[in-house]
Amino acid sequence: MTSPLVSIRGLEKRFDLSGSLLEQITFEGGRFRRKQEAVHAINGVDLEVQKGEALCVVGESGCGKSTVARTVMGLLSPSAGEIHYGGQRIDNLDGKAALPYRRKMQMIFQNPYASLNPRMTIQQTLEEPIRFHHPDWSTIQVRDKIHEVMHSVGIDPDWGSRFGHEFSGGQRQRIAIARALAVDPEFIVADEPISALDVSIQAQVLNLLMDAQESRGLTYLFITHDLAVVEHFGTRVAVMYLGRVCELADTATLFAAPRHPYTQALLSAIPKLEDDRPSHIRLKGEVPTPVNLPSGCVFHGRCPYANDRCRQEVPRLIATDGGTQVACHAVEEGRL
Amino acid sequence: MALLEVKNLDVRFAVRGGDLTALRGISFTLDKGERLGLVGESGAGKSVAAFSVLNLIAKPGYIAGGQILFEGKDLAAMSERELRKIRGNRIAMIFQDPMMTLNPVLTIGTQMVEAILAQRKISKKEARAIALDRLQKVQIPSPEKRLDQYPHELSGGMRQRVIIAIALLLDPEIIIADEPTTALDVTIQAEIMDLLLNLCEQENVALMLITHDLGVVSQVTQRMLVMYSGRIIEQGPTREIINDAQHPYTQGLINALPQMGEPGERLFQIPGSMPSLKNVPSGCPFHPRCNFATEQCKQSMPEYVRSGNVDVACYEVANLIEQEKRMQEAES
Repeated sequence: MTSPLVSIRGLEKRFDLSGSLLEQITFEGGRFRRKQEAVHAINGVDLEVQKGEALCVVGESGCGKSTVARTVMGLLSPSAGEIHYGGQRIDNLDGKAALPYRRKMQMIFQNPYASLNPRMTIQQTLEEPIRFHHPDWSTIQVRDKIHEVMHSVGIDPDWGSRFGHEFSGGQRQRIAIARALAVDPEFIVADEPISALDVSIQAQVLNLLMDAQESRGLTYLFITHDLAVVEHFGTRVAVMYLGRVCELADTATLFAAPRHPYTQALLSAIPKLEDDRPSHIRLKGEVPTPVNLPSGCVFHGRCPYANDRCRQEVPRLIATDGGTQVACHAVEEGRL
Repeated sequence: MALLEVKNLDVRFAVRGGDLTALRGISFTLDKGERLGLVGESGAGKSVAAFSVLNLIAKPGYIAGGQILFEGKDLAAMSERELRKIRGNRIAMIFQDPMMTLNPVLTIGTQMVEAILAQRKISKKEARAIALDRLQKVQIPSPEKRLDQYPHELSGGMRQRVIIAIALLLDPEIIIADEPTTALDVTIQAEIMDLLLNLCEQENVALMLITHDLGVVSQVTQRMLVMYSGRIIEQGPTREIINDAQHPYTQGLINALPQMGEPGERLFQIPGSMPSLKNVPSGCPFHPRCNFATEQCKQSMPEYVRSGNVDVACYEVANLIEQEKRMQEAES
């Protein structure tokens, strides 16, 4: 197997909740105590993104999928673990050394109403990253590049002097994609790029992303909660729950034979056009808070197959016969 | 007689530079215990349609024409006082965002009791008992405890259960649910939809479900309306429309769903986007995006034609039906 383009190793990310030192100190039982609390957003994630694939990360709100995206991009620094790009560790690089990687890795955000600067024209929005990464380019080179990317995302290059608010949501997302493509990246992290859009526009943007992947040989890390999109778009899928990957598989395999109890419940919850009535696996309770993580398997409190081992021991991702990797004691022991 | 009959409803918004027409000639009925879905993309007017049923259109919006007959009485012509006896009492509403609907500084119990006492002359104790009963109906764990909790102490799914419990407080005939699960995760969405469906069946309540999710509509409703740019372009039995949509827009909407495409292939896409209310195209509002558009479509809005049990507003469909008729006549 060739070496992966991006590899995430033992990634952890905590967000401190306890504030400054003074706020942490409490007086209890006659003595001062220091209390620290943190949101455990990611708790040991290992993922590899192969060149040319679209790796989808799915999960419900609070599972840490967006935090993974942001940490990979360097927008957040990991609390533990490493990010490698093309064999080189990049999470510890500083400004200048990280620059070439910033060009190769671009991000598309969820909300195109917030991700475009309202005071910049489309021309300026697209020009900024090109000028930043190619300071030696002539004005004509920059202009040609802008024309090329605008054309490729289906926005008329004559609209360059307009502002973001003059465009519809779908068009804004096209512009955001153009901005990402402007510096010829190899790897794109797309964080819920179509969730804010209407159904008919979602199809347009999804097609555009697939076109770009084909013509430019892009690799995607695609974050979404929409499993129908994953089934259509993804090469491989990682299902996350409470900051851990619980199942990782080829898209077709995962949808045909989900192994992890959470994946099974998640897949059964998608409303299908053929159904006359909802039919889904019921899970007990709700997602626990990531502040106080459950011991053992993070899913044990809601899992119908949980036993004592699940409550104590954290399951590791283990390859199964079907080619999927599952983090579940029940699957490992053959109980499921 | 239908429980609710909306006839030729026009809703406009008075803005600078003239009126914007948000709803144009909307007509539909809702029978007792029936579940009706309103489908469309943002800007289609589905929420305006839902709000106008309760005459809740806020200024500068106003009902410019048509009738909303609830048990034969026109809600559009009623005084605020009379309307208040119907809102929340006979027709209840569930909104999209449960955090926005619940008052953050009052306990769940206070809010529920308040809603009951606004309509019924009973003691607080009796009202609290009703509140508790409804919380049990929506299967909230430890309902007694919830009565004294504040909204922020509950999770999103739990809050939406409370909202449903509030909607059920006064045994309404109709529940209007505006995107009730859009703000929730898939697994929670499935549970809430399940609950809503079961409750409506048990209590024989009619449900008007506004959503953009065709999967949800297919699972929950018996009949559906498809809206585009303030008009109903197709309405009929849900199964019939989902399996064999007639209007090119409905067909496009269904075919654009990722589950309809082969993995890795390009999805079917409808070109362009929904027009803004400021410049609705002449004739059929869908014609600039439609593959079948003719000169006629640009000039006048098509009348409804019936195909099977489905009413469709489309010249292309009308022509096809006409052709079929002629073929049959020629054969006989």
